[in-house]
Amino acid sequence: MAKQEDKLQILRDILLTDDRLIADAINQRVETITKQFEEEQEKLTGKIDPVIEERLQQFIKDIPATLGPTITETLKTQVENSQDLVVEALYPILGKMIKRYISNEFAKLSEGINKKMNNAFSFNGFKRKLKSTFTGTKEGDLILSELENPIVNEIFAIQKGSGILLGNYSASETVDKDMLSGMLTAIKSFVEDAFKGGNQSLESIQYELYSIHIQNFHSYYIAVVISGHYSKSYESDMEDKLYKVSRKLSSGINNMPREEVDAILKSLFKEWES
Amino acid sequence: MVFEKKYRGISSNFHREIYVSLYLETNITRLMPHPQKIVILGHFGVGKTSLIRRFVDASFSEDYLVTVGVHVKKKDIIINDNPTTLVIWDIEGNSEISMSRSSYLLGSNGFVYVFDVSRPETYANLEAQLEYLKEHFPKVPVTIFGNKADKFGEEVSKAFFEVPPFTECFFTSAKTGENVEEGFKELTIKTLKQ
Repeated sequence: MAKQEDKLQILRDILLTDDRLIADAINQRVETITKQFEEEQEKLTGKIDPVIEERLQQFIKDIPATLGPTITETLKTQVENSQDLVVEALYPILGKMIKRYISNEFAKLSEGINKKMNNAFSFNGFKRKLKSTFTGTKEGDLILSELENPIVNEIFAIQKGSGILLGNYSASETVDKDMLSGMLTAIKSFVEDAFKGGNQSLESIQYELYSIHIQNFHSYYIAVVISGHYSKSYESDMEDKLYKVSRKLSSGINNMPREEVDAILKSLFKEWES
Repeated sequence: MVFEKKYRGISSNFHREIYVSLYLETNITRLMPHPQKIVILGHFGVGKTSLIRRFVDASFSEDYLVTVGVHVKKKDIIINDNPTTLVIWDIEGNSEISMSRSSYLLGSNGFVYVFDVSRPETYANLEAQLEYLKEHFPKVPVTIFGNKADKFGEEVSKAFFEVPPFTECFFTSAKTGENVEEGFKELTIKTLKQ
């Protein structure tokens, strides 16, 4: 039996040795490939990740250009198709906003009037009463006009025709001033040309809460951006001040360095502020 | 004189020093020229807006949008170490300059006349247009751009443009950027000499 077992073992060895060798070689190969793949993966990750990241960033950047029109169109269609739903959704929000705005404005108005009434016997109150008696304007109207004082936001001195900015002063940083004066001049030129009203000049532009008062001089014009409502007397006062400033500017504004013109306009601005 | 008055109280040497330094500073600012107004002229679709976009924003788009009215752009450049600002008026195209709104051309320091090398109708009246500018704006320098030069070789022969009045032209391509900056720089140099 034992001999038979040995013989069988020998036979098994003879028959399976080659297979085992092949299996070992395959295992070894698989291990090498796995190792290589892991190493390559690390290397590739290092190279591919930034490329993917860049593509992703570019895709995000391109969204407004590529998907923007589609999204806008879809939204437009959706809004058009379900106007009632949109109105229903917005109505309470808008209503609340308007209500809050109006009550806020009323609160400010009543606060202002109370202040004025408390000072009714002050020098200003006496002056107002006197003004009311002499001009015939109701004292209430005078109080209301005092409440909404216009604010000068920006002043520009611009060369006529070319639209080149000669100087400016602004309370806040807005868009590029050179481009703004160019566009303002283009609008002014367009209006003056288009309506062919002879030698007429555009004197003001109004847009909701803001007005641009334009005062024309021989080779330049001054544009004053004002927020809030302003009366005729305020306008007349402003014109006087601008004429006064023009005496300093007109002699050589086209050759003055911008800083000098800026300084003159700044002093005028400060005068308005005070 | 203004500064002299301001520092009257200071000892004479110190006074002179401050006066000189302020005087120099004032002169330096005086050397800084006002921005130069450049108006771009030419027929419809010759690439005026694209040239400005290439020059100002370094970008290009194949989409064609007609300019209505005027569009004002600004570019700061350095010419011989001196910073200069160009305010560029991109006005709507017209087959003849006389048809443009005359007020847009007022006060210009320089003109760029653009034609399209692939469309003969855009340069057929080039000489007449240059004559018009010479007559109405004798002191204002003009630079001519033959745009869409990237089409040379495929649709257009460059040899055709090697004779007057094209010899002074800058052959530009808003698409590739070829010669755009050079053309604007040359015009700026001419305007600063005026």
